[in-house]
Order: sequence, then structure tokens, then C-alpha cells
Amino acid sequence: MSSWSRRLIALAGASALALAANAASAKEVSIAAISGYFAQGFGVSIVDGLKKAEKDFGIKLKLVDTGNRALDYEEQFNNIAKDGSYDLVFVMGWELVDALQKTAAAYPNTHFVFIDGVLDSKNIIYANFAQNQGSFLAGALAASMAEKGSAIAGLGDGKAIGFVGGRDIPVIRDFLGGYEAGAKAAAPDVRLDAVFAGTFDDPAKGSELTMALYGQGSDIVYNVAGPTGEGVLQASAAADKYSIGVDIDQCGVAPGHVMASMLKKADVAVYSLVKDVVDGKPPEPGSIHTYDLKSGGVELLLCPQVVDKIPAEVKAKVEALKADVVSGKITVPTVK
Amino acid sequence: MMSDRVAGLMGQLIAVAIALAIGAVIILAVNESPLRVLVTLIDGAFGNPERIAGTLLQMTPILICGIAACISLRGGLFNIGIEGQLFIGGFAATWVGFSFALPPLVHVLFGLAFAALAGMLWIAVPAFFRARFNTNEVVSTILANYVAILLTSYLTINVFKRPGGQPDTPAILESAYLPQIFSFSRLNWGLFIGVALAIGAYLFFTRTARGYAVTEMGANPKFAEYGGIDIKRQTFVLLLVSGAVGGLAGGIESLGVHHRFMEGFAPGFGFDGVIAALLANGSPIGTIVTALFFGALRNGSLLLEVDTTASREIITVIQALIILAVSAQILVRRRASDSTAGERRWKF
Repeated sequence: MSSWSRRLIALAGASALALAANAASAKEVSIAAISGYFAQGFGVSIVDGLKKAEKDFGIKLKLVDTGNRALDYEEQFNNIAKDGSYDLVFVMGWELVDALQKTAAAYPNTHFVFIDGVLDSKNIIYANFAQNQGSFLAGALAASMAEKGSAIAGLGDGKAIGFVGGRDIPVIRDFLGGYEAGAKAAAPDVRLDAVFAGTFDDPAKGSELTMALYGQGSDIVYNVAGPTGEGVLQASAAADKYSIGVDIDQCGVAPGHVMASMLKKADVAVYSLVKDVVDGKPPEPGSIHTYDLKSGGVELLLCPQVVDKIPAEVKAKVEALKADVVSGKITVPTVK
Repeated sequence: MMSDRVAGLMGQLIAVAIALAIGAVIILAVNESPLRVLVTLIDGAFGNPERIAGTLLQMTPILICGIAACISLRGGLFNIGIEGQLFIGGFAATWVGFSFALPPLVHVLFGLAFAALAGMLWIAVPAFFRARFNTNEVVSTILANYVAILLTSYLTINVFKRPGGQPDTPAILESAYLPQIFSFSRLNWGLFIGVALAIGAYLFFTRTARGYAVTEMGANPKFAEYGGIDIKRQTFVLLLVSGAVGGLAGGIESLGVHHRFMEGFAPGFGFDGVIAALLANGSPIGTIVTALFFGALRNGSLLLEVDTTASREIITVIQALIILAVSAQILVRRRASDSTAGERRWKF
């Protein structure tokens, strides 16, 4: 075949595809997302999911960064909602709740999706993550490892595990409750030391608290503290101990010292919600979409740099507990 | 021959024009049309009654912080701690708002008075050291900003946090609400307070002997002292008043707009106010115009980011360019006309 005819065929194929794509989305789907956290862990994951949807479905995408001025939020929401031109508007960040509820009430035809929480407004869609379930597995892993003690390189016989939270707020307590339940279920003798940094923005404090926990016999510390948690991970490298990452894959922050990462897959959540809209089945206002272990919305990722140090029997125990949670045999406590 | 005032105005306009021109080049560089950006900015700032109200809402804290800056600048002093006074004042008014049950009008007045008092206390130490020991107030007031922001944040999170996930204080009682002007906007009586303050400051500086004494001190402290003005006392009092107005700006934000105090309460307005005052050459009436300009830029930029591909931050860039252009021309003017530059730092 000549190169010309090959090109012609390729062209015809491409235009057929384009036609098909056009027919499928007669009306272009427009998606907006508003948050102050697009540059941070969980927010990055949201952006990833939306960019993937943009690539796969050819949607129109608008990202609005809220910045840090509370005075601006309401106008920003109004500007997004004013023409009703967006099919879905993703919202992330608790400081936006007041502006969100006000705008959602004023523009009932604009569908807002609140990510990572449930409010009492009936015309908002909720994407909620079962962080208690993911943390349950993190607790099970940490406690099982701590129980083995000095049989494993880098661990002592303190028989304790640690937790560094950001602020002492309900959502962080939800992580902690799951972590504690997981530890109890896997190794009831292991002690849990939990502390709160009081801030999400202070890595130095995270580091300091983690060193203190290591001093008290914990060798594995779970961070649920945003940027403060970066300090937790770095402390684990400095002290040659272990830590557990949160929200996104944090294994690379302190390679060899982050044992696992509890993933809240915001990218999967936003992608599937956008897909529903593209498929003509937009989510109902007021519906709560829960992303849990069963649906793969939360997951415990064992870090590849460490996975060989985790005994097969511990892995099996964590897997068994996961199966029990998925099947409903174990109900993980939750804090609202 | 052009009068000083006209020359000054021309200088400021040229500074703004240069800043906007550089801004246009930056907009071109990010592949957006400067004309479209301009049209969207104007639409976002003045496109309908809601947006005009939004612009005035953004303008209010800039104006009041600007008046606080004008007051110190007139006397040749530079209170750059308005940001901190705003935070402290905002917190103080909120505390009054949720801690006491008072009759409506009394509650508001008490809250605002407390905000002003708090702002005054916050500048008292830098003001004392400036008056007594000639310590540079630029450094001491700017340092006090950090303390104010962290202290209010600490009090909010660790002492007064409302139940639930938010780093917020409880809401103030409705009796402490500063009334809204329109039902469709959070714009409130704070705007009128700001304009009244501007007119008041203008009258004080131009029509009273005491105001004249302050202006004289700003123009030439040595000469003012020779003329019998108690420089130390006047410096102290002037900075206290400037701080009180800064605190009041915070009180108006909490009682008029947010109805509570939260972490990251109103970041940057103190500095925006200083810029507005500098751009207005330290004139309170001029600050009304420059604050409106910055308010419109801010509010317009909120539509800009939604309706165009340009980032809202382009406004921050333009503002920074204006500061550069204005400070450059102040330096040039001073060098050209001022043989006693060593004696004073700010000339208005």
C-alpha cells in the first residue's frame, strides 16, 4: 500500500471516530471545580481525575482556585453558577461550606458536588470517602508489625503504634477511630499513642511530635495531618523508623520508611461522577456517593520499597480483615 | 507651571498606566486578549447591581485600612502594621459580638469601639518606642503583624472554637450585626463609616490647627519642633489613632460581613490599604478613589478567572507593578526637589 492510501485510510478512520464522538456528546459537558487545595495532596488527586475525564470525554473543564480570602468565596460561587452553564461543580474544602450552601439554595439548577463530607443541604451531591475503613487496614498493618517487634529490621519492642492528626476535628477522629479499631482487631496487645498537632500547616511540629512518639516506643506513625504530616514522614527517615502516608501515594516522600499509604481516591470518584454525566445519568441532588474499600474508593497501598520487609503472615492478616470489612462481617466505627 | 498637586496626580496616573501596560503584556504572554480581560474585569466589577455592591464590599476594608495609613503618612510615619490591627480588631469585635447580649445599636457600637481600642493597644508598644526612642516603626509594626495573626489564630482554634470541624469562632449575636445596605449583598454600613472617616480625616488635616501641626511634622519634623509642636506626644497619639482605625476596619469586617472570626480572616487588606493610601499620595479623599479602584480590580478578577483563561493572580501582579511604579516616582521626585531628604523618610 502506498503511503498516500494509508494516510487516507487513517484520515477516514479519524473522522469517523470524531463523528461518533460528536454524536455521543451532542451537548458538550462542562465541569467546574472550586477549591483552595488544588496544589496539595488530595486536591491534586481531584485535578488528576478531572484532567483524565477531560482527555477521555472531551469535556470543558474550569478550575477555580479560591485563594485565601473568605470575602471572595460567595462571589466566586455566584460567578460559576450564574449562567447555569456547568453540569457539575465540584467543591472541596470545609471553609467553603457557608458559601456553597447559600449558592446551592439560590441556584437550584446548578448541581454542586461536595467532596469529602456530607452536609444537611438536600440539593447538593456528596462524594464521601470511608476513611475509617482505609484507616482500619492501616491500623491492622501497623499493629501487626509492631507485634512482631525487633524480629523486623527497624522496629523495637515497644509494642506501640503512633498517630499524628492535624486538628482535633471530627473527620480526623474518623481516621483515628478506624485506625484504633484496626489495631485492636489485628493485635489487641499493641498500644496506640495518638496526638494532634493542632495545625495542618506545620511540618516542623509534625516532625517533633513524631520524634516524641518514637521516643515513647512507637515505631510506626500514621500521619493524617496534611502538610504537617510531611514532617511525620521526614522524621521517619531521620530516625530510621516507619510511617504511614495518607490521602495520596506518599511512599516516595521518605522511600523505605513510609510503610504504606492509605489512599482516598478522589480521582476515581470525580472521574466516575463525570462519566455518569457524560453517559446521561447525572447524579441525583442529595445523593451520597460513598467510596469505600468495597468500591475501591479507599485502599491501603503497601509501599514497594518496604513491601518485602512485611512478613507474608501480616499481609495475609490484613487481606483477611479487608475481606471481612468488604463482606460486612466487620463494621468499622465511624465519627461524624 | 504645574502646581505640585497636579504634578502629583499626573505622576500617579502615569504609574498606573505603566503598570496596566506591563500587565497587558503579561496577559498577551499567557495567550489571552488584554481587551477581553479588561472588558471582563469591568463587567465583573460593575456589570449589574450585585457586582457593583460586590465591588463596594471589597472596597470597604481597603478604604478603612487606607485611611489608617493616610493618618500615619500625614505625620511622616509609616504604620505598616494595619494588617495586624485589622486581625486584632476583627477578633475583638467578634468576641464582643458573641460574648455579650446587648440591645442592637449599643451592641454594634460597643463592638466597633472595642475593635478600635484593640487596634490602638496593638500599636501602642511600637508607637511608644517610636515616640520615645525614635525606633523605626516600620520594623516594629510589621513584626507585630505576625504576632497578631498567630495570636488570633491561636485564640480561634484553641480557646473559642465552635464545635465541629471549622477553625471558626461561634457566630456573633444578631444584635451585633452591622446592617446591610441591600438585601442582595453583604455590603453593609461599613462603607458609610469608611467614607465618613475619609471626609473626617480630610477636614481634620485641612481645617484644624492640630491637623496642620501633623502635616507640618510630616513635612519637616525639625521645623515643626522649632515651631513649638510636641513631636513626641504627637507621634505617639497619631500612631494610636492610625492603629484604632486599623482595628475598626477589622471590626467592620467581622460585624458586617463574616459575623464570626475564622483563621485567615481577611488576609492582605491591611497591605492593600497602605498601597491605596500611597497611590493617593496620602490624601484621604484620594484614598476613596484608589480604594474603589482596587476593590473593582479585586471583584472584577473574580469573574475574570471564571469567564477567561487568565488567572485571578494577574491582579496581584498589576497591583505589585503599581507599587513599583509609585515608589519609583516618589524616589525620583524626592531626589529632584528635596534637599533635606535625610531628615525625613516620607514626604506628602
